[in-house]
Amino acid sequence: MVIDPIFSAKPAPALPRSRVDAAAAGRGDAWGALMAAAQSGHGGAYQRLLTEISAWLAQYFRRRLPAGEIDDAVQETLMAVHRRRHTYDPRLPLAPWLAGIARRKWIDQLRGMGRRSADALPADLATPGHEAAVTSASVLAGLLDQLRPAQAQVITLVKLHGFSVEDASRETGLSASAVKMNIHRGLARLSSILETKDDVD
Amino acid sequence: MTSTDALIRTLSADLVAVRRRSVPREVAALAAVGVVEAGLLLAAGAMRPDMAQMISTPFMLWKIGSLALLAGVTGLVAVRSLAPPATPRRGMMAALALAALTVVAGLFVTPTGAGGLPLLQRLSPVHGLLCATAITVLSLPMMAALAVLMRRAAPVRPRQSALACGLAAAASGALIFTICCPMNDPLYVIVWYALGVAAVASAARWLLPKRFRL
Repeated sequence: MVIDPIFSAKPAPALPRSRVDAAAAGRGDAWGALMAAAQSGHGGAYQRLLTEISAWLAQYFRRRLPAGEIDDAVQETLMAVHRRRHTYDPRLPLAPWLAGIARRKWIDQLRGMGRRSADALPADLATPGHEAAVTSASVLAGLLDQLRPAQAQVITLVKLHGFSVEDASRETGLSASAVKMNIHRGLARLSSILETKDDVD
Repeated sequence: MTSTDALIRTLSADLVAVRRRSVPREVAALAAVGVVEAGLLLAAGAMRPDMAQMISTPFMLWKIGSLALLAGVTGLVAVRSLAPPATPRRGMMAALALAALTVVAGLFVTPTGAGGLPLLQRLSPVHGLLCATAITVLSLPMMAALAVLMRRAAPVRPRQSALACGLAAAASGALIFTICCPMNDPLYVIVWYALGVAAVASAARWLLPKRFRL
């Protein structure tokens, strides 16, 4: 078996945040070998792979989503990796394959956030821990520049700063329903923008 | 243990081996669908009656050759786009450029006499609409096959992949339709075949991503 040396090797280091493809090409694709073993039914290799990539995914989504969405996005991506693992070609590095799936899940998550904005917001959204999310969801914050100011403002307030819809309504002078509508439309627009872009870092 | 750790344990337990996706196998399956469909059409006696005389003319070589090339390129682009990191955008741009070249080439294969006819007569709208409809119908088996492949694969840009699948299905439908189509004017082919292709591609772009989730 060619996979044994991999199991005794040190865990693969986390990939840098940008240029995933180049990084994967340069690091020797230990993840690819683990996935090839997993495709053959090796549960141990698969568990190690999922553990390592979940750490990378958490880092990936931390820059792109509010804190409350990260765990959900990581788990959704792990499920997608599991369901689509037969589509990985072991002759290629795994990181670009994984990054493609993670990016898709990012877009799905943004769409989901937009849909949920019309529902009652979860009670744990406006918690002190969201101070960190403002900084960490840096890619998302940067993308908001591409939206109308009213949309960007309410998404920043409600989804990144953790304001309630009522608080955001008072802050912006918009009605609560206008806040919800701007969040919904803004996140939908953001998803469409991301669909057409090749890469965002 | 976090919920993510628990999920990883669940996914890793009782892991079964999977059959890897293979682009050559999928392309071969699609080619088989096209061959069977063309075979059925021939068996039904739908071939144009003067095919033996026409097959070696520059017009027919242009029509069959360019559609075969477009069907091959778009089919490969569509299948390749069904798993990351490949995306169909560049491939579709190349297919578009190829289509433009075939249109230009069509100017040089107009049969003698056809160029001097009135535009309405050359376009023959009634026949043209029938041709576009026939192309749409003949594209359906290939579109269904591509839809199945797309659902089983991992297109990370499902809308673009759906459009590529639609173009591939339409190009193959148009190629198969050349067996029956009695018209011998490149202008007619360009206008009405393009309409059929656009209808199929639009339908695929709208239908295939519906309820798709990685």
